[in-house]
Amino acid sequence: MPSAAELSATPALRAVDLTLSFGSRAVLSGITADIQNGAVTAVIGPTGSGKTTLLRTFNRMNDKVTGYRHTGDVLLDGRSIWSPAVELMALRRRVGMLFQRANPFPMSIMDNVAAGVRAHKLAKGGEIREIARERLVEVGLWDAVSSRLKDSPFRLSGGQQQLLCLARALAISPEVLLLDEPTSALDPMATESIEKLIRTLVPKITVIIVTHNMAQARRVADRTIFLHQQQLVERGPTQQVFESPAREETARYVSGRFG
Amino acid sequence: MIGLGGAVVPGLVLIGLLVELIFKALPAIGYSGLRFLTGSTWNFGADYATPVTTNGLTHLQGEEFGALPQILGTLATSAIALIIAVPVSVGAALLIAERLPRRLAGIAGVFLELLAGVPSVLVGLWGAVTLGPIVARHVSPLIAHTVGRIPGLTGFFGQSTGSGQGLFTSGLLLAVMVIPIIASTSRDLIRGVPVLPREGAVALGMSDFECARKVTLPWIASGILGAVVLGLGRALGETIAVAMVCGVALGSLPTNLYGAMVTIAANIVQNLETAITDPMDISAFAELALALMVITLLTNVVATLLVRRVSGTAIPVGRGL
Repeated sequence: MPSAAELSATPALRAVDLTLSFGSRAVLSGITADIQNGAVTAVIGPTGSGKTTLLRTFNRMNDKVTGYRHTGDVLLDGRSIWSPAVELMALRRRVGMLFQRANPFPMSIMDNVAAGVRAHKLAKGGEIREIARERLVEVGLWDAVSSRLKDSPFRLSGGQQQLLCLARALAISPEVLLLDEPTSALDPMATESIEKLIRTLVPKITVIIVTHNMAQARRVADRTIFLHQQQLVERGPTQQVFESPAREETARYVSGRFG
Repeated sequence: MIGLGGAVVPGLVLIGLLVELIFKALPAIGYSGLRFLTGSTWNFGADYATPVTTNGLTHLQGEEFGALPQILGTLATSAIALIIAVPVSVGAALLIAERLPRRLAGIAGVFLELLAGVPSVLVGLWGAVTLGPIVARHVSPLIAHTVGRIPGLTGFFGQSTGSGQGLFTSGLLLAVMVIPIIASTSRDLIRGVPVLPREGAVALGMSDFECARKVTLPWIASGILGAVVLGLGRALGETIAVAMVCGVALGSLPTNLYGAMVTIAANIVQNLETAITDPMDISAFAELALALMVITLLTNVVATLLVRRVSGTAIPVGRGL
């Protein structure tokens, strides 16, 4: 069992001089960043700075976009995520994702939570139900849905649907969880419950959250990465990035003067 | 006013047609009774002999109207057509909507629509001249020697493989005619599935196939069912193409996949000339038409109920993301 210091010493994910374009449009340019193991890292920056693209690169969701090209590398546990030895489906089991808006599947609530477990054949029958129950308890949805596990998820509120999607992502025990503005479509109450949950996920899971909401980044993130015009401008402990940024653009952005 | 007319006229026409059919069918219903549904012998009677009168109904000697082979033949050809067409169409739709480059997908779409517009007499001729012989020489023997060897299936699949004019060729030909309908509708439905749930499936580590099976297709299940019903309507009523490849064997129940058989529509088109000289024959045709109409309406009702059940668990339309 590695000590806490060792854990944080080995980054969970590392982007090395990552440059990425879609056709002739450059989206990321020379990004080098370590994502600290077992911590919450916020990725902030104005619209079009490449935040979401960077996030989606970590589980190779961009690979099939028309005109996609990259140079540089992303290492998960020291190994390139594009290495032939890395199986794409297995990568996505290890690096889970939650989207801007809830996206339940057209199947029962129970089957939604079980979907990933079944796809990866991680468990069978009764075990699957037990995993689903545990995860629904973990996200605080169990009491609301335990009596209607066979119902459609589309009758749940937006916040509940997003929690269901979180339970679904957690059910396959990811090592890294990518959150793409997960609360941007939710009301303050639901946002608060998701933020609280994010803090309970670390240090077991490494969390990366893209957010437009400065206050949210300050509330949930241990570390913050600031992207601007496709480049990584600054990264460091959240408090430092927000309170004593090293770069002028960072200071202007976090104080709300642009973006 | 015109709008009102447009809304009322179809209803009036339908009711008028039904009343007319029932009225015209009454003598045959009185003459055949339940034998119409249970009997397997169809005889137009002796045209040149003196008509006789039974129970107050004047008819030709030897006339007998057992429509069971035609009713079952109609259902069997349509069933075979759907068994082939549904997986092929949905697979083709997935391919066109998700896999093919945009330009190729466009071309494939144009061909689908063109295929849907080919006159059925042309399809029928192709079926009789080209498809039938291929079925007889290659496809039927293959099925007979594989599926036909499975115990319990020998009767239907393993019998002598026939001339290529019969049940299987009819079903296959109907599939060709139904595929464009189901495939083009399914393709449009697939394109309408929001990206977000599909990305969710991909991000969860599902393969494209799993994503299609678990997310994309269930999302549009009720719509696809609707497309299948549309195709079924076409298959049940398709007349001339089937008449050209089914062999028109009026007394043969469809008990052998390759054998000559008959459908309601094929009988009517094939034997109208014989029937038109005798009022009782025409009355029997009216009863056949009535049976076809009832079959079509019943399948529509069943399908509507199915659509309701399916959309209960899937996505309420308009509630997408």
